[in-house]
Amino acid sequence: MAEDLVLDTAIRDWVLIPLSVVMVLIGVLRYFVSKLLRSSQTPDAKIVKEGQVMLRARNLRAGANFIPSKAFLARKIYFCNEENGLLFVPKGQATNPQAQMFSDPNMAMDMMKKNLSMIIPQTLTFAWVNFFFSGFVAAKIPFPLTQRFRSMLQNGIDLSTVDVSYVSSRSWYFLNLFGLRGFFSLILGEENAVDDTQRMMQMGGFGFDPSKGLSAEKDNLDITQHDWALPNFEQRAEAVLRKFVR
Amino acid sequence: MVTKTEETQLNNLENQVDNGGGGAWEYLSLIRKLNLRRSDKVLNHGLSILNNPKFRSTLGPDEWTLYEQVAVAAMDCQCLDVAKDCIKVLRKRFPESKRVGRLEAMLLEAKGSWELAEKAYTSLLEDSPLDQTIHKRRVAMAKAQGNISGAIEWLNKYLEIFMADHDAWRELAEIYVSLQMYKQAAFCYEELILSQPTVPLYHLAYADVLYTLGGLENLQTAKKYYASTIDLTGGKNTRALFGVCLCTSAIVQLVKGKNKEDKEGSQVQSLAAKVLEKEYKQKAPDKLPQLTTALKSLTLSS
Repeated sequence: MAEDLVLDTAIRDWVLIPLSVVMVLIGVLRYFVSKLLRSSQTPDAKIVKEGQVMLRARNLRAGANFIPSKAFLARKIYFCNEENGLLFVPKGQATNPQAQMFSDPNMAMDMMKKNLSMIIPQTLTFAWVNFFFSGFVAAKIPFPLTQRFRSMLQNGIDLSTVDVSYVSSRSWYFLNLFGLRGFFSLILGEENAVDDTQRMMQMGGFGFDPSKGLSAEKDNLDITQHDWALPNFEQRAEAVLRKFVR
Repeated sequence: MVTKTEETQLNNLENQVDNGGGGAWEYLSLIRKLNLRRSDKVLNHGLSILNNPKFRSTLGPDEWTLYEQVAVAAMDCQCLDVAKDCIKVLRKRFPESKRVGRLEAMLLEAKGSWELAEKAYTSLLEDSPLDQTIHKRRVAMAKAQGNISGAIEWLNKYLEIFMADHDAWRELAEIYVSLQMYKQAAFCYEELILSQPTVPLYHLAYADVLYTLGGLENLQTAKKYYASTIDLTGGKNTRALFGVCLCTSAIVQLVKGKNKEDKEGSQVQSLAAKVLEKEYKQKAPDKLPQLTTALKSLTLSS
């Protein structure tokens, strides 16, 4: 274990605080840039309708036992028939999101804008931090930690002798990057917080295919058995009334 | 849906505001949130806020929402001048806004100049064909002009896209009932029951429609739905109690001529009659003789 390192106060004044301030300023700037670039999306009639069809089909499945079987069968046929049922997606007509993206320049444009406001500032700041502040200790946290935290707190320093409670400058950058979310939601308003982690997840999960949802819903509806719940209600009503008469 | 706590909160606030206790802005916000129609109050309290520049400036951007709310309330109360002023202020602030355009079209509608309003709505729809409010306004306009078939047409067009909107289904159901198109109304009520299976009012309305349609099968179904209404309301719904009695006697009449093989073992009807008598005895004793004769005439025919 190395002896206690003494950190220069200049490091606090010229590294620790400037880094945090710059991260905050960049976050705010990015918020305004993305606000400028954001295009108001006009929902597509087809997509809206598909969403509504799914909702109604789900309702039908959930509430099937509350309507007479004749009414249920009529609706089932309406949704599921193989000619023009609402949930029936003809083979080959299912749109591929990848292909749709290439055919629709707006979608590609949106993606680009998203990237523009996310990846470019991040790479730039990372390069900046790496260039100026790489490889030294910038802060010390006031409690000891186990070795496992080394990769988290001492990114950029390859010394196993330094105590883990020292934070390297590059790690400080990462801590700021992911830890400032609460602060942003404070100064920019609740919904406007620039949430990097969430956005990264969105990037991964993109590519939702509505036609797949439709056919899945159709399969679900196809196997739904109708078991009218109303005859039971007569007995239940009887029980309720009995209680009343007494 | 307005929950119980929200309702009490609203009533408390309303009391406080009406008696000059302040909190008008909170009251208006709550009304906006719950989407209630208390136009006279909104107009009164909203105007008093808007006429107070000092308070208005503390609202920040919410000021414009308030202008919109007051404008709509004023149109509802036929204070067209107030609405006009509000819309003028909004137009000055948001010269290109479609939302203000909608308000202007609504003002035309409130004035009764249907053709101009129709034109305005059509042009608005061209820009944003999926604006639900405008579609609904069109239906309302057709209904206000007495053009019921037009309203049905618009509603059907609307429901073709927004088919999960149960308010629209309900409106359509009520229109069909008013036109005595019970089969269509029954379909709409089925749709409503599907979307909210635990709302007893839909069960009751569906049962009413089925009973009106008549026929053995429909009557039996109607009786079941009256029974489910009784169950869902805990036996507090008088209409459902009467419905069960009426259905049973109607079924008995229909079956009487044929063989009496399926004597349904349920005693819902006699129980319902008992509960009715008890309720009348408690709440309206002077009407009791009428009830007993009515019930007797129902049971006599069996």
